Amino acid sequence: MNVIPFPSTPIRETGQWPVVELRRVIDACSESIANGAASGWEMGKTENGDPQIYLLGPPPNYDCILCISRLGQLYVIEDGNGRVLFENNDPMLLAEQTVELLRRGKAALAARIMVAWFALRETIQEKTEAILAEPLELLTHLAPQMAALV
Amino acid sequence: MQFARADAQAKQMRKEAGAWLRELRTQAGLSQIELASRLGFKYYTFVSQVENGFGRVPTASMEAWARALGVDPSHFAKVLLSYYEPELYRLLYEVRT
Repeated sequence: MNVIPFPSTPIRETGQWPVVELRRVIDACSESIANGAASGWEMGKTENGDPQIYLLGPPPNYDCILCISRLGQLYVIEDGNGRVLFENNDPMLLAEQTVELLRRGKAALAARIMVAWFALRETIQEKTEAILAEPLELLTHLAPQMAALV
Repeated sequence: MQFARADAQAKQMRKEAGAWLRELRTQAGLSQIELASRLGFKYYTFVSQVENGFGRVPTASMEAWARALGVDPSHFAKVLLSYYEPELYRLLYEVRT
């Protein structure tokens, strides 16, 4: 028996996202939109008609935080500075990677907040220690004298 | 209300910056792919992202963009600043002491 290798569903060269893929990508972004890390998404096209989805950051600037492009059968994810974060031709991996990248972005933000918090705490501690040290020193000097008087 | 207006303005200004960049590229006779290639990008999708008004030209690469488009880097940066940071641009270049 001969098996004829029929090609799988043809992917349109340019223009639009297939609905299933689009839903997958939007679902992947929904967590970030719900928790405020992203404000929404918009769609666009390149000069050659390759579709793009832009995930927009929070107000006031709404800068693009992730740009997902489909170049023929290749999916490319870039950040807002044009750095390529992911390139593959598997649409299943695309959704997984989108979620992963958004989580990583959130983790990076959390890490930056932690560093800032520790720096602030250290500064406050340094200042309060200096303030507290003085009365403590005074007390250690005065306490024996006060005790002698009693 | 004030914030909503500022937000809408930021989006609109970035769109205008993108349109201006597209015009410069067209004047230079370059396609998005050719410009991306001159800038050393693997894909041309970032050029599209910026021209569609969703991304910004990073400050670190403004000079490279200007040279690739055949324009003066100082003028290029100044015009982009007027779109990306209009208040800063106003303070730097329009407010008189």
